[in-house]
Amino acid sequence: MLNLSFRYDQTAVRLQVEGLPDFSAGHGDGILGIISGWRLQLVASPELEGKREHLQALMATVLPYARHRISGVKRAFGDTASAVVISPDGDKHQLLLRSSQPNIPPLTLHLDHAELADLVRCLDALRLDPRVQVPWELPIDHPLPRKELAERVPLSQRFGAPFIGGTALALIAGLSLLLPVPRSSEGTLPPANSTTPEQTQSSSNR
Amino acid sequence: MTNATTISEPSSNTQQQKSFEQQQSEMTLKTVLGRRGLERLDLLLLVVESLDLNGGEAMLWTTQQLGLQEQFPNRVELWKRRCHNPLRRATRRGELSAFDAEAMLRLLCSMASRLYPLLHQLLSSREPEELNLQRWALLDQRLRDLIEERMNPRRGAVQRLLQQEQSQPIQRELVFSLALAAGDGGIDRLRASLLDPTP
Repeated sequence: MLNLSFRYDQTAVRLQVEGLPDFSAGHGDGILGIISGWRLQLVASPELEGKREHLQALMATVLPYARHRISGVKRAFGDTASAVVISPDGDKHQLLLRSSQPNIPPLTLHLDHAELADLVRCLDALRLDPRVQVPWELPIDHPLPRKELAERVPLSQRFGAPFIGGTALALIAGLSLLLPVPRSSEGTLPPANSTTPEQTQSSSNR
Repeated sequence: MTNATTISEPSSNTQQQKSFEQQQSEMTLKTVLGRRGLERLDLLLLVVESLDLNGGEAMLWTTQQLGLQEQFPNRVELWKRRCHNPLRRATRRGELSAFDAEAMLRLLCSMASRLYPLLHQLLSSREPEELNLQRWALLDQRLRDLIEERMNPRRGAVQRLLQQEQSQPIQRELVFSLALAAGDGGIDRLRASLLDPTP
Protein backbone atom coordinates (compact mmCIF):
# COMPACT_ATOMS: atom_id res chain seq x y z
CA MET A 1 0.00 0.00 0.00
CA LEU A 2 1.42 3.40 -0.98
CA ASN A 3 1.32 5.68 2.02
CA LEU A 4 1.90 9.35 1.30
CA SER A 5 3.00 12.04 3.68
CA PHE A 6 3.27 15.76 2.96
CA ARG A 7 4.68 18.37 5.28
CA TYR A 8 4.07 22.14 5.29
CA ASP A 9 6.48 24.22 7.36
CA GLN A 10 6.48 27.77 8.56
CA THR A 11 8.49 29.40 11.35
CA ALA A 12 6.07 28.58 14.17
CA VAL A 13 3.84 25.92 12.59
CA ARG A 14 4.37 22.52 11.05
CA LEU A 15 1.50 20.63 9.47
CA GLN A 16 1.93 17.04 8.37
CA VAL A 17 -0.73 15.16 6.43
CA GLU A 18 -0.75 11.44 5.76
CA GLY A 19 -2.95 9.41 3.50
CA LEU A 20 -3.40 7.35 0.40
CA PRO A 21 -4.20 7.91 -3.25
CA ASP A 22 -7.87 7.42 -4.06
CA PHE A 23 -7.56 5.10 -7.06
CA SER A 24 -11.34 4.87 -7.38
CA ALA A 25 -11.35 8.60 -8.10
CA GLY A 26 -8.70 8.28 -10.79
CA HIS A 27 -5.77 9.58 -8.77
CA GLY A 28 -2.23 8.66 -9.71
CA ASP A 29 0.44 7.30 -7.41
CA GLY A 30 1.68 10.58 -5.99
CA ILE A 31 -1.74 12.09 -5.37
CA LEU A 32 -3.20 12.07 -1.89
CA GLY A 33 -6.96 11.55 -2.04
CA ILE A 34 -7.77 9.96 1.31
CA ILE A 35 -6.44 11.56 4.49
CA SER A 36 -5.79 9.02 7.21
CA GLY A 37 -4.30 11.39 9.73
CA TRP A 38 -2.65 14.74 10.33
CA ARG A 39 -0.43 16.38 12.92
CA LEU A 40 -0.10 20.03 13.73
CA GLN A 41 2.81 21.38 15.73
CA LEU A 42 2.64 24.90 17.05
CA VAL A 43 5.56 26.44 18.91
CA ALA A 44 5.14 26.14 22.70
CA SER A 45 1.87 24.23 22.34
CA PRO A 46 1.00 20.55 22.55
CA GLU A 47 0.96 18.63 19.29
CA LEU A 48 -2.48 18.26 17.74
CA GLU A 49 -3.61 15.35 15.68
CA GLY A 50 -6.84 14.08 14.28
CA LYS A 51 -8.80 12.76 11.37
CA ARG A 52 -9.89 14.39 8.15
CA GLU A 53 -13.08 15.82 9.72
CA HIS A 54 -11.07 17.69 12.33
CA LEU A 55 -8.75 19.14 9.72
CA GLN A 56 -11.75 20.17 7.64
CA ALA A 57 -13.27 21.86 10.72
CA LEU A 58 -9.97 23.65 11.41
CA MET A 59 -9.77 24.95 7.84
CA ALA A 60 -13.44 25.93 7.72
CA THR A 61 -12.96 28.03 10.85
CA VAL A 62 -9.48 29.52 10.56
CA LEU A 63 -9.55 30.53 6.88
CA PRO A 64 -12.82 32.57 7.04
CA TYR A 65 -11.51 34.15 10.24
CA ALA A 66 -8.36 35.23 8.39
CA ARG A 67 -10.49 36.50 5.50
CA HIS A 68 -12.45 38.70 7.91
CA ARG A 69 -9.32 39.85 9.76
CA ILE A 70 -7.69 41.08 6.56
CA SER A 71 -10.74 43.34 6.13
CA GLY A 72 -10.38 44.51 9.73
CA VAL A 73 -13.46 42.66 11.00
CA LYS A 74 -12.92 41.02 14.39
CA ARG A 75 -15.52 38.33 15.01
CA ALA A 76 -15.56 34.78 16.32
CA PHE A 77 -16.06 31.73 14.11
CA GLY A 78 -17.58 28.50 15.37
CA ASP A 79 -20.17 27.96 18.09
CA THR A 80 -20.65 25.81 21.17
CA ALA A 81 -21.27 22.74 19.03
CA SER A 82 -18.25 23.25 16.73
CA ALA A 83 -15.08 21.22 17.03
CA VAL A 84 -13.02 24.36 16.43
CA VAL A 85 -13.76 27.90 17.59
CA ILE A 86 -11.54 30.90 16.91
CA SER A 87 -12.15 34.31 18.36
CA PRO A 88 -10.22 37.54 18.82
CA ASP A 89 -8.61 37.91 22.22
CA GLY A 90 -7.08 41.37 22.57
CA ASP A 91 -3.91 41.41 20.48
CA LYS A 92 -4.07 37.63 20.12
CA HIS A 93 -6.39 34.96 18.76
CA GLN A 94 -7.95 32.26 20.88
CA LEU A 95 -8.23 28.86 19.23
CA LEU A 96 -10.47 26.42 21.08
CA LEU A 97 -10.37 22.76 20.04
CA ARG A 98 -12.91 20.23 21.27
CA SER A 99 -12.02 16.57 21.16
CA SER A 100 -14.49 14.10 19.69
CA GLN A 101 -13.53 11.64 22.41
CA PRO A 102 -15.51 11.78 25.66
CA ASN A 103 -14.11 13.10 28.96
CA ILE A 104 -11.40 15.15 27.27
CA PRO A 105 -11.61 18.84 28.12
CA PRO A 106 -11.32 21.36 25.28
CA LEU A 107 -7.87 22.70 24.52
CA THR A 108 -7.38 26.45 24.32
CA LEU A 109 -4.46 27.97 22.45
CA HIS A 110 -3.53 31.63 22.25
CA LEU A 111 -1.92 32.57 18.95
CA ASP A 112 -0.27 35.88 18.19
CA HIS A 113 -0.57 37.51 14.76
CA ALA A 114 2.61 35.81 13.49
CA GLU A 115 1.47 32.35 14.57
CA LEU A 116 -1.95 32.84 13.03
CA ALA A 117 -0.36 33.97 9.77
CA ASP A 118 1.88 30.87 9.83
CA LEU A 119 -1.11 28.60 10.44
CA VAL A 120 -3.06 30.23 7.63
CA ARG A 121 -0.11 29.83 5.25
CA CYS A 122 0.19 26.14 6.10
CA LEU A 123 -3.54 25.56 5.59
CA ASP A 124 -3.44 27.51 2.32
CA ALA A 125 -0.47 25.48 1.13
CA LEU A 126 -2.34 22.27 1.89
CA ARG A 127 -5.63 23.22 0.25
CA LEU A 128 -3.90 24.55 -2.89
CA ASP A 129 -1.38 21.74 -3.16
CA PRO A 130 -2.00 19.97 -6.50
CA ARG A 131 -0.72 16.73 -4.94
CA VAL A 132 -3.62 16.76 -2.47
CA GLN A 133 -6.93 16.13 -4.23
CA VAL A 134 -9.32 16.27 -1.30
CA PRO A 135 -12.69 18.01 -1.72
CA TRP A 136 -12.42 20.71 0.93
CA GLU A 137 -15.81 22.31 1.41
CA LEU A 138 -14.62 25.82 2.02
CA PRO A 139 -16.29 29.14 1.27
CA ILE A 140 -14.94 31.24 -1.62
CA ASP A 141 -13.24 34.50 -0.67
CA HIS A 142 -15.89 37.09 -1.48
CA PRO A 143 -16.11 40.77 -0.57
CA LEU A 144 -17.85 41.10 2.77
CA PRO A 145 -21.38 42.48 2.99
CA ARG A 146 -21.70 46.11 4.02
CA LYS A 147 -23.40 45.15 7.29
CA GLU A 148 -20.40 43.16 8.51
CA LEU A 149 -18.02 45.97 7.61
CA ALA A 150 -20.16 48.53 9.41
CA GLU A 151 -19.66 46.62 12.65
CA ARG A 152 -15.92 47.29 12.63
CA VAL A 153 -16.62 51.05 12.79
CA PRO A 154 -17.09 52.08 16.45
CA LEU A 155 -20.63 53.07 17.45
CA SER A 156 -19.51 56.58 18.41
CA GLN A 157 -18.02 57.06 14.94
CA ARG A 158 -20.98 55.45 13.16
CA PHE A 159 -23.73 57.38 14.89
CA GLY A 160 -21.76 60.47 15.98
CA ALA A 161 -22.48 62.64 12.94
CA PRO A 162 -26.22 61.78 12.66
CA PHE A 163 -26.62 62.32 16.41
CA ILE A 164 -24.93 65.75 16.32
CA GLY A 165 -26.99 66.71 13.25
CA GLY A 166 -30.28 65.62 14.86
CA THR A 167 -29.46 67.39 18.12
CA ALA A 168 -28.55 70.60 16.30
CA LEU A 169 -31.81 70.47 14.34
CA ALA A 170 -33.88 69.91 17.50
CA LEU A 171 -32.05 72.75 19.27
CA ILE A 172 -32.64 75.20 16.44
CA ALA A 173 -36.29 74.17 16.20
CA GLY A 174 -36.70 74.65 19.96
CA LEU A 175 -35.04 78.10 19.90
CA SER A 176 -37.15 79.21 16.98
CA LEU A 177 -40.26 78.39 19.01
CA LEU A 178 -39.07 80.74 21.74
CA LEU A 179 -38.82 83.72 19.36
CA PRO A 180 -41.77 86.19 19.67
CA VAL A 181 -44.31 85.86 16.88
CA PRO A 182 -44.93 89.20 15.02
CA ARG A 183 -48.34 90.56 16.07
CA SER A 184 -51.08 91.09 13.51
CA SER A 185 -51.92 94.71 12.35
CA GLU A 186 -55.30 94.73 14.16
CA GLY A 187 -55.02 95.98 17.69
CA THR A 188 -51.61 97.51 17.22
CA LEU A 189 -50.75 101.13 16.66
CA PRO A 190 -48.92 102.05 13.45
CA PRO A 191 -45.44 103.36 13.91
CA ALA A 192 -45.23 107.09 14.70
CA ASN A 193 -43.40 108.21 11.55
CA SER A 194 -45.22 106.03 9.05
CA THR A 195 -47.46 107.78 6.53
CA THR A 196 -49.93 106.36 4.08
CA PRO A 197 -49.69 107.33 0.38
CA GLU A 198 -53.00 109.26 0.66
CA GLN A 199 -51.69 111.36 3.54
CA THR A 200 -48.58 112.16 1.58
CA GLN A 201 -50.60 113.21 -1.45
CA SER A 202 -52.90 115.52 0.56
CA SER A 203 -49.96 117.18 2.29
CA SER A 204 -48.36 117.96 -1.08
CA ASN A 205 -51.63 119.54 -2.39
CA ARG A 206 -51.59 122.01 0.46
CA MET B 1 -5.54 -1.14 -11.48
CA THR B 2 -3.88 1.79 -13.16
CA ASN B 3 -5.77 1.07 -16.39
CA ALA B 4 -9.02 0.93 -14.51
CA THR B 5 -8.41 4.32 -12.99
CA THR B 6 -7.46 6.00 -16.24
CA ILE B 7 -10.76 5.11 -17.88
CA SER B 8 -12.82 6.09 -14.88
CA GLU B 9 -15.00 9.19 -15.15
CA PRO B 10 -13.79 12.46 -13.71
CA SER B 11 -14.48 12.41 -10.04
CA SER B 12 -16.78 14.80 -8.25
CA ASN B 13 -13.70 15.98 -6.40
CA THR B 14 -12.07 17.24 -9.59
CA GLN B 15 -15.33 18.88 -10.64
CA GLN B 16 -15.56 20.63 -7.29
CA GLN B 17 -11.98 21.81 -7.61
CA LYS B 18 -12.74 23.16 -11.07
CA SER B 19 -15.86 24.98 -9.98
CA PHE B 20 -13.93 26.49 -7.08
CA GLU B 21 -11.22 27.68 -9.46
CA GLN B 22 -13.82 28.97 -11.92
CA GLN B 23 -15.55 30.94 -9.21
CA GLN B 24 -12.24 32.35 -8.06
CA SER B 25 -11.28 33.32 -11.61
CA GLU B 26 -14.63 35.08 -11.99
CA MET B 27 -13.67 37.13 -8.96
CA THR B 28 -10.36 37.91 -10.66
CA LEU B 29 -12.13 39.34 -13.68
CA LYS B 30 -14.16 41.64 -11.46
CA THR B 31 -11.10 43.26 -9.90
CA VAL B 32 -12.09 46.83 -10.62
CA LEU B 33 -11.05 48.49 -7.43
CA GLY B 34 -13.00 51.29 -5.86
CA ARG B 35 -11.54 54.32 -4.18
CA ARG B 36 -10.93 52.58 -0.84
CA GLY B 37 -9.39 49.58 -2.56
CA LEU B 38 -6.97 51.76 -4.51
CA GLU B 39 -6.00 53.68 -1.38
CA ARG B 40 -5.34 50.47 0.53
CA LEU B 41 -3.43 48.79 -2.29
CA ASP B 42 -1.07 51.75 -2.65
CA LEU B 43 -0.69 52.03 1.13
CA LEU B 44 0.28 48.37 1.37
CA LEU B 45 2.86 48.90 -1.39
CA LEU B 46 4.14 51.86 0.60
CA VAL B 47 4.55 49.60 3.67
CA VAL B 48 6.50 47.17 1.48
CA GLU B 49 8.78 50.04 0.45
CA SER B 50 9.22 50.99 4.10
CA LEU B 51 10.23 47.44 4.98
CA ASP B 52 12.61 47.09 2.06
CA LEU B 53 15.05 49.97 1.61
CA ASN B 54 15.53 49.00 -2.01
CA GLY B 55 11.79 48.46 -2.47
CA GLY B 56 11.40 50.32 -5.76
CA GLU B 57 14.04 48.25 -7.50
CA ALA B 58 12.80 45.07 -5.84
CA MET B 59 9.30 45.72 -7.18
CA LEU B 60 10.59 46.16 -10.71
CA TRP B 61 12.66 43.00 -10.40
CA THR B 62 9.62 41.12 -9.07
CA THR B 63 7.46 42.28 -11.98
CA GLN B 64 10.03 40.72 -14.31
CA GLN B 65 10.00 37.52 -12.27
CA LEU B 66 6.21 37.41 -12.53
CA GLY B 67 6.27 38.06 -16.27
CA LEU B 68 4.65 41.47 -15.94
CA GLN B 69 7.41 43.41 -17.74
CA GLU B 70 5.06 44.32 -20.60
CA GLN B 71 2.71 46.03 -18.19
CA PHE B 72 5.40 47.52 -15.99
CA PRO B 73 8.48 47.93 -18.19
CA ASN B 74 9.91 50.61 -15.92
CA ARG B 75 9.37 52.45 -12.66
CA VAL B 76 7.38 55.22 -14.32
CA GLU B 77 4.67 52.84 -15.55
CA LEU B 78 4.36 51.35 -12.09
CA TRP B 79 4.23 54.82 -10.55
CA LYS B 80 1.51 55.87 -13.03
CA ARG B 81 -0.70 52.94 -11.94
CA ARG B 82 -0.10 53.74 -8.29
CA CYS B 83 -1.08 57.37 -8.86
CA HIS B 84 -4.71 56.25 -9.20
CA ASN B 85 -4.71 56.45 -5.42
CA PRO B 86 -6.76 59.61 -4.66
CA LEU B 87 -4.66 60.31 -1.56
CA ARG B 88 -1.53 60.99 -3.64
CA ARG B 89 -0.13 64.46 -4.21
CA ALA B 90 -0.11 63.82 -7.96
CA THR B 91 -3.24 61.78 -8.46
CA ARG B 92 -4.63 60.46 -11.77
CA ARG B 93 -8.27 60.47 -12.67
CA GLY B 94 -10.17 57.42 -13.86
CA GLU B 95 -10.21 53.92 -12.52
CA LEU B 96 -7.48 51.33 -12.69
CA SER B 97 -8.31 48.60 -15.22
CA ALA B 98 -9.02 45.10 -13.90
CA PHE B 99 -5.93 43.83 -15.72
CA ASP B 100 -3.66 46.40 -14.07
CA ALA B 101 -5.26 45.92 -10.67
CA GLU B 102 -4.71 42.18 -10.87
CA ALA B 103 -1.07 42.72 -11.88
CA MET B 104 -0.53 45.05 -8.93
CA LEU B 105 -2.18 42.55 -6.59
CA ARG B 106 0.14 39.82 -7.82
CA LEU B 107 3.11 42.11 -7.36
CA LEU B 108 2.05 43.04 -3.82
CA CYS B 109 1.44 39.43 -2.74
CA SER B 110 4.75 38.35 -4.22
CA MET B 111 6.54 41.13 -2.33
CA ALA B 112 4.68 40.16 0.86
CA SER B 113 5.83 36.55 0.45
CA ARG B 114 9.40 37.73 -0.09
CA LEU B 115 9.29 39.95 3.01
CA TYR B 116 7.37 37.42 5.12
CA PRO B 117 10.29 36.73 7.55
CA LEU B 118 10.40 40.46 8.35
CA LEU B 119 6.62 40.63 8.76
CA HIS B 120 6.77 37.60 11.04
CA GLN B 121 9.43 39.23 13.22
CA LEU B 122 7.36 42.38 13.56
CA LEU B 123 4.18 40.51 14.49
CA SER B 124 5.68 37.88 16.75
CA SER B 125 5.26 38.27 20.50
CA ARG B 126 8.14 35.84 21.06
CA GLU B 127 10.75 38.29 19.72
CA PRO B 128 12.70 40.38 22.27
CA GLU B 129 10.42 43.28 23.15
CA GLU B 130 13.03 46.02 22.95
CA LEU B 131 14.30 44.82 19.60
CA ASN B 132 10.77 44.67 18.26
CA LEU B 133 10.05 48.21 19.45
CA GLN B 134 13.12 49.39 17.54
CA ARG B 135 11.91 47.58 14.42
CA TRP B 136 8.48 49.18 14.68
CA ALA B 137 10.07 52.61 15.27
CA LEU B 138 12.19 52.17 12.15
CA LEU B 139 9.18 51.13 10.08
CA ASP B 140 7.16 54.04 11.48
CA GLN B 141 9.87 56.54 10.56
CA ARG B 142 10.30 55.24 7.01
CA LEU B 143 6.57 55.01 6.38
CA ARG B 144 6.04 58.51 7.77
CA ASP B 145 8.76 59.89 5.47
CA LEU B 146 7.24 58.18 2.42
CA ILE B 147 3.73 59.38 3.26
CA GLU B 148 4.93 62.97 3.76
CA GLU B 149 6.81 62.80 0.47
CA ARG B 150 4.07 61.29 -1.70
CA MET B 151 0.66 61.83 -0.12
CA ASN B 152 -1.53 64.89 0.01
CA PRO B 153 -1.26 66.16 3.61
CA ARG B 154 -4.55 68.05 3.36
CA ARG B 155 -6.48 64.78 3.26
CA GLY B 156 -7.93 63.58 6.57
CA ALA B 157 -6.88 59.99 5.92
CA VAL B 158 -3.27 61.10 5.36
CA GLN B 159 -3.33 63.23 8.52
CA ARG B 160 -4.56 60.20 10.47
CA LEU B 161 -1.62 58.19 9.13
CA LEU B 162 0.77 60.88 10.31
CA GLN B 163 -0.66 61.28 13.82
CA GLN B 164 1.34 59.20 16.30
CA GLU B 165 -1.60 57.87 18.34
CA GLN B 166 -3.75 56.93 15.37
CA SER B 167 -1.01 55.69 13.06
CA GLN B 168 0.30 52.86 15.27
CA PRO B 169 -2.80 50.60 15.19
CA ILE B 170 -3.20 51.34 11.45
CA GLN B 171 0.41 50.32 10.78
CA ARG B 172 -0.05 47.14 12.80
CA GLU B 173 -3.17 46.24 10.81
CA LEU B 174 -1.35 46.94 7.53
CA VAL B 175 1.57 44.68 8.47
CA PHE B 176 -0.86 41.95 9.61
CA SER B 177 -2.76 42.29 6.32
CA LEU B 178 0.49 41.86 4.40
CA ALA B 179 1.28 38.73 6.41
CA LEU B 180 -2.15 37.28 5.60
CA ALA B 181 -1.70 38.23 1.94
CA ALA B 182 1.55 36.28 1.67
CA GLY B 183 1.61 32.73 0.44
CA ASP B 184 -0.46 30.66 -1.93
CA GLY B 185 -3.98 31.70 -0.94
CA GLY B 186 -3.11 35.24 0.09
CA ILE B 187 -3.96 36.86 -3.23
CA ASP B 188 -7.59 35.64 -3.17
CA ARG B 189 -8.01 36.87 0.38
CA LEU B 190 -6.48 40.27 -0.34
CA ARG B 191 -8.42 40.71 -3.58
CA ALA B 192 -11.70 40.02 -1.81
CA SER B 193 -10.83 42.48 0.94
CA LEU B 194 -9.90 45.23 -1.53
CA LEU B 195 -13.27 44.73 -3.22
CA ASP B 196 -15.17 45.26 0.04
CA PRO B 197 -17.84 47.95 -0.21
CA THR B 198 -17.42 51.18 1.73
CA PRO B 199 -19.18 50.78 5.10
